[in-house]
Amino acid sequence: MQSIVSLTISDLWIERGDRDLCKGLFFELKSGQVMRVLGENGAGKSSLLKVIAGVIAPLEGQIQYAGQDVTHDRKILQQDAIYIGHSAGIKSVLTVEENLRRYYPSASADELEAVLDNLSILDLADTPAKKLSAGQTRRVALARLWLSKKNVWLLDEPFAALDIKGIALLESHIEQHVLAGGLVMLTTHQDLHSIQSYDLVLSP
Amino acid sequence: MTYFSYFKAEFLVLLRRKQDVINALLFFITVIVLFPLGVSPSPIFLAPAAGGIIWCALVLAILMAIESMFKEDYNDGSLEQLVVSGLSLPLLVLLKILVLWSVIVIPLLLMLPLLSAMLYLPEGSFWVLVATLLVGSPSLFLIGAIGSALTVSLKQGAMLMLLVILPFYLPVVVFATGAIKAAQEGLPYSGLLAMLLAISLLSLVLSPVMTAISVKASVN
Repeated sequence: MQSIVSLTISDLWIERGDRDLCKGLFFELKSGQVMRVLGENGAGKSSLLKVIAGVIAPLEGQIQYAGQDVTHDRKILQQDAIYIGHSAGIKSVLTVEENLRRYYPSASADELEAVLDNLSILDLADTPAKKLSAGQTRRVALARLWLSKKNVWLLDEPFAALDIKGIALLESHIEQHVLAGGLVMLTTHQDLHSIQSYDLVLSP
Repeated sequence: MTYFSYFKAEFLVLLRRKQDVINALLFFITVIVLFPLGVSPSPIFLAPAAGGIIWCALVLAILMAIESMFKEDYNDGSLEQLVVSGLSLPLLVLLKILVLWSVIVIPLLLMLPLLSAMLYLPEGSFWVLVATLLVGSPSLFLIGAIGSALTVSLKQGAMLMLLVILPFYLPVVVFATGAIKAAQEGLPYSGLLAMLLAISLLSLVLSPVMTAISVKASVN
């Protein structure tokens, strides 16, 4: 993990279906910071995360990561970022373990076991993902946060479908991550209890 | 994610989702079986038509398999994850096509001796048929992947995909059946095989890039 990294968004203009979601957006996020993206439904919170992750191309503007312009080639950022969207990329026919092995083939068995145990889904390791509840599926997707060594976390509604214990677990993990120098952007309607965050409010 | 872990997972997914592959294979057999029953079981009709019948069935079976190739990845968010993985998207797409090709074409090849005997395909042209299948079918998958990726975000995309890619399938079918016919009549057929190989190589170069662009446009 690098010590200090920063994500700079300047003059960002996102348009979806002839509607401006944001125009002239500017902010800078540094290591150790959490940004909470707020806004009404349809304000463009998810789109903003997708643009930064590189799923959608912005109409105009610049995205800089670690001092380099990544607007057109997002590779440097993508190799150091993890994006978990609404649909989390979990294959329903694969088991929990196979799903995680797909993303982290080099994780050791002990490591994987510890993470699953921590998220209390260890006994589901050999269950096909289609048999899991929404909350359990979300836990599997979030297990990637424990396994990855990446700096930037882009989380779209990470708390959705989680129970109170799960929310507390994730919050404390986000806290640890930023203390270690990571940076986190997340969309949520939930108040964060233990984390100091900057709020970015998108208005239509 | 690494290329290898992706390849492995894709393979596993297809093995677990056997039904899709089996459907395509059963469809292939059904079409072939219907010709002797529906038109004529006599060798006079079947022997010259065998190559054409097998190739038509092949195209239909591949169309069936390829239409839903990206559908599930699109719905469960895996396609998005591929785009943001930081790996080369054309290469990932190529791996996916490779997995699908091997899972469908290898069983087809295994069934071929039986089916071609049933259609009275002359013995000498059997190996030509196998050759056309080996060098021609990759292009069908590669071209089909572009159409499949383009229409994955549409609800009723199957028909549109058919319209988009079918014109590109025609030359492959024409050259493949031409080669088999030439072999049956004792004419040289290597030129036609070379044309098939050329189409496959050209689509190998173009398709991964075009499919990657289509995937990006679809997840947008």
